[in-house]
Amino acid sequence: MSDKKRVSGSTTGPAHTLGEMLAERGVSRRSFLKFASYTASILALPPTAATAIAQGLASARRQSVIWLSFQECTGCTESITRAHTPSIEDLIFDFISLDYHHTLQNASGHAAEAARMAAMKENAGEYIVVVDGSVPLKDDGIYSTIAGISNLQMLEETVKDAFAVIAVGTCATFGGIPGANPNPTGAVGISDIVTGKPVINISGCPPIPEAMTGTIAYLLSFGAIPELDHLGRPKAFFGEAIHDRCYRRPFYERGMFAKSFDDEGARQGWCLFEVGCKGPVTYNACATLKWNGGTSFPIQSGHGCLGCSEPGFWDLGGFYKPLSTAKDDPLKWAAGAAVAGAAVGAASALAARKLRNKSLQAAAAAAPAAPRAAKKEDE
Amino acid sequence: MVERGATCLDAQTTGMAWSVLAEVGRLLEMLASNGEPGCIDLRSLPLTDADREELESLLGRGEVRVELDLAGRSEVWETAYAGAWWIRHRGAGDRIAAELIAVCPAPEILMAHPADIQAAARRLRSNLQQPRPAAANELSETTRETPHV
Repeated sequence: MSDKKRVSGSTTGPAHTLGEMLAERGVSRRSFLKFASYTASILALPPTAATAIAQGLASARRQSVIWLSFQECTGCTESITRAHTPSIEDLIFDFISLDYHHTLQNASGHAAEAARMAAMKENAGEYIVVVDGSVPLKDDGIYSTIAGISNLQMLEETVKDAFAVIAVGTCATFGGIPGANPNPTGAVGISDIVTGKPVINISGCPPIPEAMTGTIAYLLSFGAIPELDHLGRPKAFFGEAIHDRCYRRPFYERGMFAKSFDDEGARQGWCLFEVGCKGPVTYNACATLKWNGGTSFPIQSGHGCLGCSEPGFWDLGGFYKPLSTAKDDPLKWAAGAAVAGAAVGAASALAARKLRNKSLQAAAAAAPAAPRAAKKEDE
Repeated sequence: MVERGATCLDAQTTGMAWSVLAEVGRLLEMLASNGEPGCIDLRSLPLTDADREELESLLGRGEVRVELDLAGRSEVWETAYAGAWWIRHRGAGDRIAAELIAVCPAPEILMAHPADIQAAARRLRSNLQQPRPAAANELSETTRETPHV
């Protein structure tokens, strides 16, 4: 099956490409090119890739998406629907047919389930399943049910004929807060259950909206899975630590640290490492893409990174405990490397990353709440 | 001296503007010598606000400035160096969604796409086939065809 053939056309008919469909609504190819420039930028692709993305999108069919919400707080949906005005960011919603989504769909009850079944039948082998929320496995999964079936049953039934699965949010990727110690419902991430299908993890609590829309745009444009890291996350968004791109990094390099949230260093905007920032061991794009339309991100607002896009973040030591002093915390190894990095400069960054990966493996194995061990180093 | 506040670094230049300027120069040399276009994604670079302003000032403004209205506002202008174009795409809330320096004879986004041209030709052909409404101040057919002798 060709890459393009797998892209479905559930609501627009088989003859309509996105280019044709949107042209009827007065959306020109220039808009595609603008969206493609934006997408290439957030995906960290060469700017020259924009033309290929625009062509790929224009010739694709509208993509059927079934969105399943399990043990979650709807924060991930809030994040992806953040933009309120018609804009370049919203074009992604013209490119997909959201055939099932508890919060956003009009249908409810039996009609909603009928819509899911119809989308699965019409687009068998072609639709994408997006999942937010973890899945409880304890006691046959009775702790979360929808339409009279467990989340596990719904997941297995829905992904059976899917083209790919995208797990959004740290709950769906690594178990997140429902999976935190003592994990009373036996919550796990999607990739602990789904086998034999590509699973893309977009972690974060919530994930950055551009990471979600950019990944979908990549799937549509290229008909392929983007390059992933060892935790199944797109490298375009999770390839660098928050610390690597943090604007406070120069203070870290100079050894200038805030010691508390109200001292002179904090007021001067110094590095938050010593008040618990997990930026050195957290891989995400917050420091570059930022939040709320590029306005800011936690560190810019004066609070350290919580490490919310990493496995078992809820149980990996205190949020305000410096990485370098945490007792019995597996992250101390990574932190030790990071402190060494401050002393000897950027040359130690690679070693810090290796140690960080080892520490996460240890963390996942040690913490009962972390359902999924980090697989292996990507070095 | 470091200024007070968490975003104080945005007010400082880091020298990045001059690095980008050198890269623009290298791309212009390539365009001039073999016609190969290039592009720099400014959003991917750790530029402070001050760096961005410095770069904009260093590149200056040329003869062409275009504003596009498509899925939000976009601005394109030729810098003082012919062939180096600054492209600024705005998204929700008029914030900058993408920002590029394209080094080419003319940015692709200014060109009409063949599919749009074909659609425009079809639309105009269809419009011309519709009955033409007579304008109030149009000359009558008799008047218009009066031969001059």
